[in-house]
Amino acid sequence: MRFKKLIAVIAVLSMALVACTETSGSTTTQAGGGGGSTLAAIQARGTLNCGVNNAVPGFGFVDADGNYSGFDIDFCKALAAAVFGDATKVTYVPLTAQQRFTALQGREIDVLIRNTTFTATRDGSLASTFATTTFYDGQGMMVRTGEFDTIDDMADTTICVLSGTTTEVNLAIRMTGITHTAQTYENNDQLQAAFIAGTCDGWTSDKSQLAAQRSAYPESSGGPAALEILEETFSKEPLGPAVLDGDSQWAQIVNWVVLATIAAEELGVNQGNVGSFGESTNNAIRRLLGLDITTDAGTAPFDPGLGLPTDFARKVVEAVGNYGEIYDRHVGPNTPLGVPRGLNNLWTNGGLLYSPPYS
Amino acid sequence: MTTQEVSAVFTPLRKNWWLWVKENLFNSWYNSLLTVVLGTGIVYALLAALRSLFGFDYTILRVNLTLLMVGQFPRDMLWRPWLSGYLLVAAVALAAGLLKAQAQSKAEQAGLPFTKTRPGDVLRRGWPVLVLVVILLSLTQTITPTLLTVGLLAMGIAAYFLGRVIPARGRRLAWVGVVLLVLGGYLALAAFGGRGWSQWGGLHLNVFLTIAGIAFAFPLGLLLALGRRSSLPAIRTMSVTYIELVRGVPLITILLFAYLAIGFLLPENLKPSPITRILIAITLFEAAYIAEVVRGGLQALPKGQVEAGQSLGLPAWKTTRLIVLPQALRHTIPPMVGQFIALYKDTTLIQILGVLDLLNVSFIINTQPQFLGQGLFILTMSFAALIFWVGSYTMSREARRLEKKLGVGER
Amino acid sequence: MAALTTDGLSARPPFWRSLKFIRWSIQLVAVGLSVAIVFYLWNNLIRNMRASGISTDFSFLTQALGVNIAGSDISPGAPIWRGLLVGIKNTFALVIVGVPLLTVLGVLIGIGKLSTNWLVAKICAVYVELFRNLPPLLLVYFMFNAVILQFPAVENSWDLGFVLINQRFVAFVGFVGQPGIGMYWLVMGVTLLIAIWVWIWRTRRWEQTGEPHRRVAWSMALLGAVALLAFLILGGPIALSIPAIDGRVATGGYQGLAQYFGVLIALSMYTASHVAEITRGSILAVAKGQTEAANALALKPTQRLRHIVLPQAMRIAIPPVISQYLNFTKNTSLALAIGYAEITRITFQTIGNGHPAPQMIALLMASYLVFSLTISVLVNILNRRLQYASR
Repeated sequence: MRFKKLIAVIAVLSMALVACTETSGSTTTQAGGGGGSTLAAIQARGTLNCGVNNAVPGFGFVDADGNYSGFDIDFCKALAAAVFGDATKVTYVPLTAQQRFTALQGREIDVLIRNTTFTATRDGSLASTFATTTFYDGQGMMVRTGEFDTIDDMADTTICVLSGTTTEVNLAIRMTGITHTAQTYENNDQLQAAFIAGTCDGWTSDKSQLAAQRSAYPESSGGPAALEILEETFSKEPLGPAVLDGDSQWAQIVNWVVLATIAAEELGVNQGNVGSFGESTNNAIRRLLGLDITTDAGTAPFDPGLGLPTDFARKVVEAVGNYGEIYDRHVGPNTPLGVPRGLNNLWTNGGLLYSPPYS
Repeated sequence: MTTQEVSAVFTPLRKNWWLWVKENLFNSWYNSLLTVVLGTGIVYALLAALRSLFGFDYTILRVNLTLLMVGQFPRDMLWRPWLSGYLLVAAVALAAGLLKAQAQSKAEQAGLPFTKTRPGDVLRRGWPVLVLVVILLSLTQTITPTLLTVGLLAMGIAAYFLGRVIPARGRRLAWVGVVLLVLGGYLALAAFGGRGWSQWGGLHLNVFLTIAGIAFAFPLGLLLALGRRSSLPAIRTMSVTYIELVRGVPLITILLFAYLAIGFLLPENLKPSPITRILIAITLFEAAYIAEVVRGGLQALPKGQVEAGQSLGLPAWKTTRLIVLPQALRHTIPPMVGQFIALYKDTTLIQILGVLDLLNVSFIINTQPQFLGQGLFILTMSFAALIFWVGSYTMSREARRLEKKLGVGER
Repeated sequence: MAALTTDGLSARPPFWRSLKFIRWSIQLVAVGLSVAIVFYLWNNLIRNMRASGISTDFSFLTQALGVNIAGSDISPGAPIWRGLLVGIKNTFALVIVGVPLLTVLGVLIGIGKLSTNWLVAKICAVYVELFRNLPPLLLVYFMFNAVILQFPAVENSWDLGFVLINQRFVAFVGFVGQPGIGMYWLVMGVTLLIAIWVWIWRTRRWEQTGEPHRRVAWSMALLGAVALLAFLILGGPIALSIPAIDGRVATGGYQGLAQYFGVLIALSMYTASHVAEITRGSILAVAKGQTEAANALALKPTQRLRHIVLPQAMRIAIPPVISQYLNFTKNTSLALAIGYAEITRITFQTIGNGHPAPQMIALLMASYLVFSLTISVLVNILNRRLQYASR
């Protein structure tokens, strides 16, 4: 009997111990209250909770070593680099389309960077605030080459689409008056398998996604040439980070981290040369990188009062590079996605990227 | 009796294979037809399966094997899952040895025959696991996992025989050792700079959720079962309501609730991690089912047992603790294993929530740039299916053996 | 028990030792605690939802759904509650077809496991071990990806005359009413009543005189004859509608989405493996003496199974099979994995489109509870009738 008690005591103790290690190891602690303390909460926690996707080629996926990788992921890293000076201090919270806004509203994540479209409803009724768009995309339709010329030809077709996304709603609007079957799937991998098997006449999604799938289309099925993405873009899909309403300081931080990557590209600062501007006389660069600037008031780094370290942009560029580098690494022409810069080029090159002055 | 049937009676003596075939495959015209049709079908299906098996490129599994097994556990800490595995295997093997030794002493005391487990039996009972291990090792890229697995096996066997030879007096202490080993298995992963369950994934997560789900749900289920048979109407009603409500809805709805809505139910400063929330959901769900299992055990108990307790003047809680539960819980072991298997299979549902369990990893690796659009979905899915099947099949066979054994011992 | 506390004691024990008091206080504490917990959680829910700016009532149900639902005529402008109704209807469509399907399959395999043909018995055993040890979710995925998606494309559908099969849908032959259909149904309705009367009459006669009843032959012959005669007299009031491929869709016949069949078959096969084990166990549980008695009466093996063994095995099997039906019903929620628009899937979709999760999940759970309770009530009634008939 005594031994049974001993075992029971050990079992209870071990459960308590398990609970203790779990709370100390637990990463998803509170993400800040409503009153502007998100930054403080993140700093106290020591890690940034970033809501991401884990199955979108080029934007967010898990590599064989278990590391998150992709365009969206780099912006999570950039934020961590800005806040902590260390791009590894991110806890990635994989979210499905259904969960993302609930997770944001429930303060389980600090920022949502999960190829999320900036819309008025989401900004207004889903209690979220969007920062600068990181990727200007548009919804398109991919079909097998030669089958359809325009979307209006696609009567009686089966069109595959991801569930719980703006894409699904846009499709319904675009196809008004055209009989079709909208076949919705919960996850990207299942949709991809269904399309390869040929059960969809069309696949509608953001064009960058379609490009990724097209470029990877197996040679045994005819390779990329067997598919074409129709010309028409039937919705605007500006994808960007979202934070919870009610903390303007944190919203500004997220906004300016994105803008800093754009500004860095404008100024020609990249991962390779970011350390070489110590003697630069270009004040715009000196301000951005937090280098000492001599004014009448004295010599000090420029601080716009965002609540970030003055050299946050340098840490960001050191960690992930400028916008162009992030783009080229994950979605640019030299990647499997092979998406040309297009709208995502600097305004000086005919794109939409434009950083307000950092001064 | 026709001549045919007469000859059939004598077949076992002759052991003629042709007669066996005649009797078991072609004993009537429709059976002959069935045999021919089904035989052709099977040969065809096997050939097709073999052809596609060799036609696949297994690189995707080879590259992602670690991800499939332990998810995103940091790669420089892989010694932790291994150490944990060693400790857990030691615990299980030691427990098995102790149980066997206890059964032997009992049989000797009662003067009953006792059959030892022969290596051949282990091979016959555990072949699916062995095949799986060989397949997994064939997918590894270095020799280390193979060496470690051989070590694991050797240590398991050693622990088993240690359990067998420990004298009766030391057995209780050895059980303490088993509990400590299990605890050590957890600490090896989580303590001293390790990673807690919030960051586990892959097969490891499925197994953990199954074990932890049953372990946490058991006390709650026990209370619910006792509550359901309580003579206090309010408590009975509450227990029945809880059990029936939970059993009336699918697990996925409870998981969805835990994932999306539990955050709203808790005070603002309490934000359990996704895995913790899933664990809460599984515990709440499983408790209702365990309650029914325990109720089955309680009902199997003859009424005289409770009355005997009452006639000794024991208070109700003592009757329950000393007389009812020890006997009733014995009856619940086989259905409890069934519940364990069901939960093991149900842990795949977290794939729908986007959690990186074995099934979900087997899906998302198809979106890695080098495997994108290669049509390997079926291959990776089959791999996950194989692992689930082996675990579930082996456990269900052991459960049936146990059932038979307990049934024989009891009646 | 009350006698213990009062009998033969001169001094009454203090009131807190009385059994009545203890029982009442325990219950009060338990109820009070539960109410307090529920109230606390409820309070948190409302406060947190308000704080996050989420609506706390069900008024959103009248908002537009915003999407199309495959296999239904729901347009994006339809309100959410109509979408939910379509989901419930689709869940029901799975259950109503799946339950008979899995029963037949399970019983056949269960009997097959006891076959004297070694190969048949082994195949049935392998089937059971294979299917019941796989997670049902994986089976659904597998059925869709490895089977349904491997069917030919629409343009190359397998045309089996009355059935069209391809990776998008299955189309069955259908019936179309021609002029005179109303009259035909009326005649057939009356004939059906007469056929039932004939059935009862034959049964009574058999009970009274012992002459073979042949009630199936009698009533079927009557029904068949009238059906044919009326068909000819009314000039063919019913025409077959044979499905045919027209571009990317089929015309004519009844059509079902491939996803529907994927879920239906996968889950039926999974549940059938459990039903097979129950069947086998129940047959074996029928006392051996019953089989021997049947042999002594020189019944043929089929007669023995049909008249002696199965009726008795059925009574043993019914309670566990009911719980399998309930499991099947709950497992239909897995259809969302491959995008079949049943209730869980619609709920996910609606939450994904930004509608409040707590209310949607409450509605979802309530729907399943109604389903489960209805099935258990229905089958319990059936069960009681069968059990009474046996005794």
